[in-house]
Amino acid sequence: MKIEVKFYSLFRLNLKSSGIEYDIDGAIILQELIDKLDEDFEGYFSEKLLDSGEIRTGSIILLNGKNVLHLDKLNTKINDGDIVTLFPPSAGG
Amino acid sequence: MKDYLQRQVEIFTKEENKKIEELNVMIAGAGGLGTNQAQQLIRMGINKIYLYDNDIVELTNLNRQLFYGKKDLGKSKVECAKNHLDNFGLDTEIVPVEETIDINIEVPNDIHLIFDALDNFKTRFVLEDLALEAEIPFIHGGIESWYGQVAVIIPEETTRLKDVFSGADKKEGTPSIISPAVSVIASIQVLEGIKVYLNKENILKNKLLLVDLDACSVEKVNIKST
Repeated sequence: MKIEVKFYSLFRLNLKSSGIEYDIDGAIILQELIDKLDEDFEGYFSEKLLDSGEIRTGSIILLNGKNVLHLDKLNTKINDGDIVTLFPPSAGG
Repeated sequence: MKDYLQRQVEIFTKEENKKIEELNVMIAGAGGLGTNQAQQLIRMGINKIYLYDNDIVELTNLNRQLFYGKKDLGKSKVECAKNHLDNFGLDTEIVPVEETIDINIEVPNDIHLIFDALDNFKTRFVLEDLALEAEIPFIHGGIESWYGQVAVIIPEETTRLKDVFSGADKKEGTPSIISPAVSVIASIQVLEGIKVYLNKENILKNKLLLVDLDACSVEKVNIKST
């Protein structure tokens, strides 16, 4: 199955990449996707997205436009064709 | 029609032009976003701006907050803003409100739009609650470094900021900001607000506009309620 992961804002700047596509056999949950991203981006995403094994406050993870905090957090199931969007929100004004 | 609006008349219909001159808004925050929004809105000839802020002008504001200079340090932001805008002699009424945004404030009963010009998500979520309670469209904008985002929240119609940005209210630290990037986000907010008010198509309903001024890219991301 195919999953598209998109990076925005400082993630994009730091990684010099706008995202990555994975072709994966079988089902996957968000934690496993983050592990996979860590393999490709030298541990960057667990550092930015996680804190003591939970989703770090202030980083946004959307699955098809829904914040995963309102789904099943790190256990959120990711399906074929899903789009995962990752960015730190801009808070200033 | 106000005599200084001739150059924008052809962009809108006759009815829309009339409506713009009747537009009343609330701008929550007289900082970087708020001063830029107010500047754009008076140039469009709207009727009234309620400008909310309870802060005084500080040195760190001067890199991006358009209406203040060193001589204003220590003065009330909204009073300085009103003086600055009134000096142009344009017809928009500026109502300064020295209040902090919290759930107990009374939203003016004659406004059509609320503009987010805040600097943290905790207060944004409160402002969104006030907008939803008053059934008034809320135009979100945020900026940090080269990046920003804009979204339109319409009561009973779109997903809420609080859903999409869950957890962002606990983010700590002071964001780095440069003036031109603030102006871009504020300008997009004003344009979206005008489009919402005029019932135009192609507004950012259930879409988050992510602006990357480092890469010169703008992308729309679909957002959904849970």
